[in-house]
Parts: sequence; C-alpha cells; structure tokens
Amino acid sequence: MTLSLVVTVLLVLAMGSLLAVPDFADVWENLWSDEMRFSLRLSLISAFLSAALVISFSLPIGYTLSRFSFPFKGLVKAIIDLPVAFPELVLGLCLLLLFGKTVLGDWLAAVGLNFVFTQKGVVAAQFFTALPYASRIMKSTFDYIDPKTEFVSRSLGYSMFETFWHVTLPMARNGILAASVIAFARCIGTFGTVLILAGGSYMKTEVLPTTLYLNISYGNMGMALTSGIVLMVVSFVAIYVFEKTEAAL
Amino acid sequence: MSFLRIEDLHLNLGEFRLDGIDLELEKGDYLCIIGPTGAGKTILLESVIGFWAPDRGRIFLDGTEITHARPERRHIGIVYQSYALLPHFTVFQNIAYGLKKRQKSGIESAVRQMAESLNIDHLLQRKPATLSGGEQQRVALARALAVKPALLLMDEPFSALDPRTRHRARELMRKAVQGQETTVIHITHDLDDVWTLADKAAVFHDGRCRQFGPADEVLDRPADPFVADFVGTNLLEGAVLERNGDRSLVGVNGFAIYSRDGAEVGKSVQLAIRPENIRIIRTPPADSDCLAVTIESVAREAKACVLQVRASETCLSVVAAHQTVQRLDLHPGDQVYARIEKENVCIVGSGEITQLSGFMLPRKG
Repeated sequence: MTLSLVVTVLLVLAMGSLLAVPDFADVWENLWSDEMRFSLRLSLISAFLSAALVISFSLPIGYTLSRFSFPFKGLVKAIIDLPVAFPELVLGLCLLLLFGKTVLGDWLAAVGLNFVFTQKGVVAAQFFTALPYASRIMKSTFDYIDPKTEFVSRSLGYSMFETFWHVTLPMARNGILAASVIAFARCIGTFGTVLILAGGSYMKTEVLPTTLYLNISYGNMGMALTSGIVLMVVSFVAIYVFEKTEAAL
Repeated sequence: MSFLRIEDLHLNLGEFRLDGIDLELEKGDYLCIIGPTGAGKTILLESVIGFWAPDRGRIFLDGTEITHARPERRHIGIVYQSYALLPHFTVFQNIAYGLKKRQKSGIESAVRQMAESLNIDHLLQRKPATLSGGEQQRVALARALAVKPALLLMDEPFSALDPRTRHRARELMRKAVQGQETTVIHITHDLDDVWTLADKAAVFHDGRCRQFGPADEVLDRPADPFVADFVGTNLLEGAVLERNGDRSLVGVNGFAIYSRDGAEVGKSVQLAIRPENIRIIRTPPADSDCLAVTIESVAREAKACVLQVRASETCLSVVAAHQTVQRLDLHPGDQVYARIEKENVCIVGSGEITQLSGFMLPRKG
C-alpha cells in the first residue's frame, strides 16, 4: 500500500512538473503556432482514423481468437501479440522494410497506398502499434461473454451474424469502448514507429510526439512542453470520456 | 416412427466425448438424463441442438435428418443451468426475442400469456440482473417455450435453485410442458427430477449410455452396478435356490430373499431393491418374511433418514421417514428386521452360478 502511494505521488509530481515549468502565456502562443496547429490536427485525424481501423480489425480478430479453434491458433495469437513486446523503433523498421522497396510495397504504392514517409504511413504506424492492445482487450471481452447466450440465440432462430449483432456486440460494448480509448491513446502517443515509417518531416508527417522530439532537439523547450501538455490533456479527456460513457452504459 | 432418434452418435472433444449414443423418444416424452460430471450429457444436448457436429452418427427429428442442419433451423429450444438470459434486454424483450424471428404480430400478447402462465408477468420490465435465481429460471423457460419448440433441451435448469423454489419450478415445468405436449430432454443430478417429471430416464457414464428406458425401470431395475449405485438402488449378488412359477427364491451371502421375477434354479443373479421399498420394523409380523439386520449407521437428511444395515455379510441402504426413525428409536448397533416385499425385489441380471456361500431362509414370523 505504501509502495503504491509512493508511486502515485511520483506520477502526480511528474505530470505536475509538466504544468509547473512553462510560462502559460508562452504555451498559449505556441498553441496557435502553425507547427502546433498542424501537428495537433494531424495527430487527432490520424489517431481517430487509426483507432477506427484498429477497432474494425480487432473486433473480428478478438472474436475469432476467443470463439474458434483452428490450426496454429497459438502461433497466430503470439504473432498478433508480438508488437506489444517489440520496441516501437523495431516495429517501425519492420514496417519500413515491408512497405519499402518490396513487391507488396510497390503494389500498395501503385494503388495509392504509399506508407513510406507519408501521412498514410502515420496512420499505418499507429494502426500496427495499437492493434495488439485492442485485440487483446477484445479477446478478453469475448472470453468473458458466456457463449451459451449465443447458443440460445441461435436456437431461437438467429443466424451466426444476427446473433453477433443482437447479442454479442451489445454485450461487448464496454470492452469495445475500452479498446477504443486505449487504441486512441496508443495511436496519438505513438512515436518510434511513426518516426521510422512516416519520418519526422516538419509540418508534413509531424504529429505531437514528433513535435515534442524535434523541438527538444532544437532546444525549443516552450514548444516541446506545449506538445507534452497537449498530449497529456488529450489523454485525460479520452479517459474522462471513457469513464463517463462506461457509467452511462 | 420415433419423434427423436439418435443413432450411434460419436463425438470427441478431448475432455468430453460421446461414444455411440442411441436414443429414441416419442412425441411428448420427458427424458431425464443423469450421470456424473463429465459423462457427456451436456455435449449430447449441444450436439442435438447443433452446436457440435458429430464425428459419426445421425440425428432425426420428426422424421427429418438434422445431423448437419444449422441450429437456427432445427426449432429446438434450450434452457441452461446459468439461464443465459440476455442482460441488455428486459424480461419482456428476452421472451419476445425468439418470437420476433418467427412472427410479425401478436408478439406482445404471446409474451404476456407465457409470462402469466409462469407467474412472471409482474417482472416484464425488469432487467435479468435484478431477478432472483427462480425468476431468472422461469424467464429462461418462458423464452424457450414461447416459440413452441419441437424439442426442449434443459441442462440442469433447477440446480441453482433452493429446494423450495425447485419444488415450485418442477410443478410449473410439468404444467408448462404438458400444456404444449413438448418433448423434453432434461439433464439433472437430482433424482427427484426423475421421480417427479420423467417418463423415460437414461444414465450416462464416460460418454456412453449405460441404461435407457422407462424411468421406473431404470430406477427399479438398474442394468449394472454403476447404474444401481448412481440411482441409489441396492444391488445384491446371489443364486436362484427355488423357482415357484413367476417368482424365485434367491440366496444372497448368508440369507435368502424372494423376488417377483422367475429365474432358472442354479443361475447366479443380481437383485435390485430400492431403499425406499425396505421397511424397518422392531417386531416382525407373524404372516410376513423378514430379514434380521443390524443398523450400522443412521444419517439424517432433509427429506428422510438413510440407514445402512447389515444382513450377514451384505450391506443394504434403507430410506426411512424421520418419524419412523424417531418412533422406533433407531440407533447404530440395534438389531431390527427389514421387511422386503417380493414385489419390490427385481432380478436384473443373470449368469452361470459361480459361488454360493452359506445362506439362511428368511425368518418367518
């Protein structure tokens, strides 16, 4: 108990120091700078897009892993989980190699999906970073739902898809909400993967963590701190919305 | 032609399996399946309803093969021990759920009618989480019966209920299924369910059906020692000493006993006697055959007392009313008499005589 209290105090102090150090007039001015507005807009749009994609993919992945048996299921699960343990930089490097000058990369570029050093790459990097987290949450959510409710629904005349729609999905809503918030938070905070795959190009593929990193590199602490504060505020808002929505459900 | 016919059903799920199950039910039959945990009872139900595809064997319902039909096309209802109510729906919505798939109008009146028949009409706007176990059980039953299933499967539907609620639930169940002439397969661990509801019974063990037949026959004439032990029937090894028409005198280790069944003299046989059919008395009447026994233990249970008595080298279970035990002042070590009418003694198996130890004829009062 003492240990958890100490850790909590340290966390509060660490987050508080971010708010204590800067001059708020400076923060306000930085917020309206072109770079910050670009970075914030790209971060929010890419994170919303990536999180939506993550949920669209993690729902069927989680359901399949929870409900069906198939050959090499353990291996598939391990591969999907692997990026959780991967350093983001290594994941970014893997994606760069995959989407670079390879048959797949060339084909994707030909159909308009060039991920290397582009804003689409930001979305791809965020997607692959957040997917394992959301998939794990979705699998646990479906594991927790009694399959007997689905059996009963099937026995009452509903097909597998209708059962998923009327029974499984509504029962999984809290899990979906949690996965969405975690996915969004992971997406907006992804740095290493984005930096390697999409690059850290000023006002081109620049997202909030990149802004923080680039400005620290230049010694522009004001912009770096502003990025940090914006990231923290976005995270708090996401958690607040999650708590409120969960309570309403 | 049988209404439900299961032929040589095999299914191996690793931990649970079915190993050549054959069952036949007529329309309106009420089958109770009993057996220890892991015997394959639940996967039989789930195979019949279509959640598991059998490795081998066939299932026919009302003359149509349904072995590989989709669950939603079989028109079979199921009630689970956990009730599996949909938590995001009200009671009304739960009951109406299956009806919505089958009919466009008359849903509200059908739901209300079903709810009234199961005394849950006052709960229709409540969510399942706010209901007691007994209420949830009735909602689950109402949901299954509302669509008038051709066959109703129930997996230990009463096991989570307290004894009083269970008794009421049985009454409601009997009325509900009799009203619809529903064919039912009911898995249970409670022999009272068999006594009260079943007209057929099956005993499962290790993926096999050890005995299937009319409920009375399974209880009175267990096919083997496992079934006898499971249904609580005394099973005694003996040899036929005399045959008198359609009855026999059978020598059991140290004593002899009359049976209502005839068997060839010299054959080794097994005798089945229900513990409820043995009467303990202090003084044997003059006109009746009685067995001198010693009480080894007296266990008080909710509904009756279970006595273990010894006659020579043979142990018998006896069920006696609390009143009887109190009135006769029965205690371990007491020498008393067991009165067993020959009508209650069945010969359930026979073979060549192997060994017959010393015996005595029953004491005539």
